[in-house]
This record gives sequence, C-alpha cells and structure tokens, in this order.
Amino acid sequence: MSLVETQLNQHVSIPLAPDEHTLALKTTLLKDIKRSAYVYRVDCGGCNGCEIEIFAAITPLFDAERFGIKVVASPRHADILLFTGAVTRAMRTPALRAYESAPDPKICISYGACGCGGGIFHDLYCVWSGSESIVPIDVWIPGCPPTPAATIYGFAVALGLLDQKLKAENHVEQPGETAALLLPEVPLHTRVVIEREARLLAGYYAGRKISDNLLALLPGATAPVLAQRVEEWLHRENDPRLREIVQQLLLTISGQIKRA
Amino acid sequence: MFKLFKTILKAGGEVTVKYPFKPLEVSPGFRGRPHYDATQCIACAACTSVCPANALTMETDLASGERRWQLFLGRCIFCGRCEEVCPTRAIALSEEFEMAVSHKADLYTTATFTLQDCRICHQPFTPKKSVEYAMALLAHSGLDQEAVEEMRPQFETCPACKRLQNLQSNSNLKLRHNPGRENR
Repeated sequence: MSLVETQLNQHVSIPLAPDEHTLALKTTLLKDIKRSAYVYRVDCGGCNGCEIEIFAAITPLFDAERFGIKVVASPRHADILLFTGAVTRAMRTPALRAYESAPDPKICISYGACGCGGGIFHDLYCVWSGSESIVPIDVWIPGCPPTPAATIYGFAVALGLLDQKLKAENHVEQPGETAALLLPEVPLHTRVVIEREARLLAGYYAGRKISDNLLALLPGATAPVLAQRVEEWLHRENDPRLREIVQQLLLTISGQIKRA
Repeated sequence: MFKLFKTILKAGGEVTVKYPFKPLEVSPGFRGRPHYDATQCIACAACTSVCPANALTMETDLASGERRWQLFLGRCIFCGRCEEVCPTRAIALSEEFEMAVSHKADLYTTATFTLQDCRICHQPFTPKKSVEYAMALLAHSGLDQEAVEEMRPQFETCPACKRLQNLQSNSNLKLRHNPGRENR
C-alpha cells in the first residue's frame, strides 16, 4: 500500500488575480471618478503605527475627508483597501476575507514598509513579507509609517489625480569616475579627530552634522575670523546644547584637550 | 461652553494644511527618501551591513567583475543609519516624502561598480573606486602624491597574494617549524 502524495505548498502564497472584466471596469471608473472614495484598512499583522497615521490623515489638520476620502468600518462599503502589516500567517486569511467582501472594482494599496516589502520583518518565518503576496496591488506607499501627507499623496496617486514622482534609477560606473574627498582644505587628521569627538558628544547622527558644519567654517580662517563665524552660526541655531558641544570641539581643535 | 468657543477662537480659524494644492513644509530633521549620489559612492558596503531592514543590499558578481548596489525603497524604514555610516557622504536622507508609486519597479535604485582585478592572480577583489579613494586619502593625509602613486601595484594586489608575496620575498622573516621547542 502506498500513501497518497501530499503536496506541501502551504508555505507558498499565490496572490489572487482579478479577472479581465473587473480590470476593464476599474479603468473606466478611474478615468472619470466623480464621487467619494471609501477606504477600509486591512491590518495584516502590523505594529499599528500605520493605523495611527491613517487616522492622523483624517484629523482636521490634514482632513482627507475634504476630498471625500472616508475611512469606513466594513469592507462591504469600501472602494479602496489599505493593506498594512507584513502579512503574518494568522492574518492572511482574514485579509483575504476582507478582500473578497469588498465589492468590485476595488483599489488595493500596499501601505507602509511592511506592506510594501515586509519591512524589518521581511525574513521572519511566519510572514509572507508584503501584501502583494496575497492580493493584486495597485499602489505602493512606502514609509515607516508614511506621514499623513504621504498618505494623502498616495490616495491621489491611487485615484489617478496626481502623477507619481519616483522613477527607477540605475547608475553604471563610468571609467575614471572617482569619489571626491570631503573637505580637502582641512587636514585629514583634524577632520577625523573632530568628527570622532563630535560623535562622542552629540551621538552618531547629530555629531557628524555638527562636525561637518564646524569644519566647513575652518578653511581660510584665522582665530578671530573663526570665532566670529562660529558665533554667527551658534546665534542662528540658538541651541545651548550645540553651543556647549561646539566649544568643546573648538578646544579640541586648538589642542587643549587630547583624548586617547 | 464659552471656554470651548474661546479655545476654538484661539486656534485661529483654518488649521487644515493646504497640502496637495501647496507644497508642505516638513519639520527640521525630517527623515524622508534617501538621496543617493552614485558618483560619490565607493561601494564599501558599510550602509548595506547596517541597514536593519535589508532595504540596502549589495551583491558581488565575480564572473563579470561587478558589484551591484541596490536600494529597495519599499522596505526602507528611514532610520538614517546609512547616512550615519557613509564615509563619503554618498547617501543622505532628504525631505522628500511623496513616494507612492503605481509600478513597483520604480521603488528600486541600483548602481553597478566595477571591481579591481588583482595584479597577480587576476581575480577581482575590491571596487576600483575604493582603491582610488584610499590612495587619495593617503595623499590627503600628508604623503607625497608620487610616493602614493608608486605604491599603486601594492594597492592593486589582493590581500591573499600580498601575504604570499611577503612570505616569498621577505628575507627578514624568521620561520620556525616548531615554535617553542627551545623552551622545552
């Protein structure tokens, strides 16, 4: 007696494909849209950050409802489905049910970094990394989470009101292409010491910006000129923390403090 | 009730942003789309190793002698780690937030760099631009431009071949087959 061969394909998610009739209907409807679009958000196992931003987009400050975009409570009322989250194993079926319950034609939007490509969860064992693995997606809105303004822009792209600004870019190295040196007027050792000190004092991200700003003031400056330039910059920024750090860095430049 | 009206009046009429009709001003320090300057990139892979979401990836193709850098914006979480670590300031987060696309292919930014072939074993080992950049840095740090240029064959040799060369040509090396035997 031989066992029936069971096909193990549960780990593969085949996205649903809309039929041609629906597609044709969608293009004709989108060409001349004259009514409000109702949005239903489908949480496919996200962190809720995206949901907070969606609701921020319908607050009075951004007020997506002035364009007739309304978040509804049932997929049966929806024209636009927002898929957030990285599509976990448990939330895949509910998401598919929501998709099936929405009337045709519908626009599917992949929302947030997790929806677009799995985000930081893309290689976990229990996720399908991205909503395009379950449903046909029309628009991708990247962001972690997308800001309310980015959300409104995404809706506009989905409804065909605004054009997308992003284009795929491909650069191929040209012969003789070289990377330019940073601040060639400043001695390398000084730059390294100052940058290290600034990153130590202000943190890695801000420290680099502070040291770049300070070192840009250095070329061709005598001590009083430098002091004046620094004072102008600090006055403009008006931040006591920055002042403290810059004073420390200036001491380092003049060699009064040496760190091992 | 009057208090409520007072609050409303204080809010000053219209607060809704004019966004899609007028450009929106973002706050200082806003972290938007990473702007990538491929000419400044030396393909050192610092950004790809820190990217927590693996939005930045890099693959080396030894057969064609190329290294391919790729940013998949859909996966990017805009943390700014790439900007932090980039030694040549090739990547920096911009204030651009309008990133929605209707074709997924538009979310990708790619760059291809050629690799340097080793002078001895003729195998690619590092991007050409990184060799050039290291030599420029040496010159910048105070070494003579010609002295750096003289050492070019050394920079264009892969570490394994360099090691082999040292072993073969260096008469100062004291190789002992059984180190520590004298102390027994």
